[in-house]
Amino acid sequence: MAPTRKNQSRLTKAERRRFVDAVLKLKRRGEYDAFVRTHLDFYVSDGESRLRVAHMAPSFFPWHRRFLLDFERALQRIDAGVTVPYWDWTKDRTPAASLWGDDLMGGTGRGPDRRVTTGPFARGSGHWVIKVGVTDGDFLTRDLGRPRAPIALPTAREVADAMADPRYDVPPYDSTARAGFRNRLEGWTSARGDARWRNHNRVHRWVGGHMLGGASVNDPVFWLNHAFVDLLWDRWRRRHPRSAPYLPAEPPGAGSSQYRRVVARHERMPPWDVRPDDLLDHRAHYRYGG
Amino acid sequence: MSRPWGTHGEPERLVDRVTRRHLLGVAASALLAAAEIMRTPWVTREQSPAPAQAPAEVPDGPPAGFDEMYRGRRIQGEPVAVREGRTPESWRITVDGRPLGLMRRADGSFLSMVDHYQSYDTPLAAARGAVDEIGPLQTLSGRHH
Repeated sequence: MAPTRKNQSRLTKAERRRFVDAVLKLKRRGEYDAFVRTHLDFYVSDGESRLRVAHMAPSFFPWHRRFLLDFERALQRIDAGVTVPYWDWTKDRTPAASLWGDDLMGGTGRGPDRRVTTGPFARGSGHWVIKVGVTDGDFLTRDLGRPRAPIALPTAREVADAMADPRYDVPPYDSTARAGFRNRLEGWTSARGDARWRNHNRVHRWVGGHMLGGASVNDPVFWLNHAFVDLLWDRWRRRHPRSAPYLPAEPPGAGSSQYRRVVARHERMPPWDVRPDDLLDHRAHYRYGG
Repeated sequence: MSRPWGTHGEPERLVDRVTRRHLLGVAASALLAAAEIMRTPWVTREQSPAPAQAPAEVPDGPPAGFDEMYRGRRIQGEPVAVREGRTPESWRITVDGRPLGLMRRADGSFLSMVDHYQSYDTPLAAARGAVDEIGPLQTLSGRHH
């Protein structure tokens, strides 16, 4: 029986403690920061001519699925009973949600440097020192909801709009794709103002601080956001059983702007020896609970 | 089980490689920062308001650099020569002499290392946006991709 990833709001007190303890232990062993570096190294923007696999690309979903699975397996080497919980941000929408409690993620940042001061990942706890960051501060930062110019988390309606699109992705398979489930859920637009952020991207903006930058994995809520994104990919597949589960099916040709810049269904997706096609079904490895 | 799910294909080697690459990147960034500091004359870093509209690009000409005080921070930017894998218009940006990584999106806008999920129309706007996000107390580590 594959282990179950649960909604964070339904974790028992003991489950919350075991998840946090495993994450802290991974950090203490030095393994956590390798995940921060990998995510940083594979953030390639679509204005560059290099291959991009993690963002602004059709492999956004399978890349993060495999990344989460590696993280979850690392946690399970510490505590075999732990899975990555997911954060349904269409329901748990405020800094008062139990997600931000002292026994799970801790709260928002305080003061001009937006330093997180509560919970297990506060610098003051002594267990969470930022080593791979964009700024020189060694403490976790957040800016939940951006109080100086409040922004809301993505709504159920916004998710539904993405979910209704029957195409997995559409050319040019980047951040300018005007349709397709992948870019609608990843959330790139060329809009201005607060409408510019959608779904996954908007969650990064709402949390703010480290989650906004290249070193977003420093905030453990990264994993809970991406577990929900992974769950939504699962829901989309069940809703569109006749759609191609991944596009492009074949590598874009030499005449295409995306030649050698995106990974097709049966091409290797670095840094792993794995193809998107290998990651379409996760049920042997984990399931999602209510 | 199938190859991709089952393998942990030499994770240590991957980590080593990634770390080495990063150390090299950080060293290169530090050199860039040092060169930048030596190259530019000392400017008194008093608080001064940013100009309302500092043009970052001149129409029908090569993009112009910028050098201004914004919220007490000195932000400088200049276009750099094309390098392999970079866009035709690559920029070197610093905040108080520390490099700020900048990436280009396919729609022509710019993303900074500080803010990966919002793009700005110009390098200057991206640099100001980064200053807004890091606040008055933190400085950039100089880390690039």
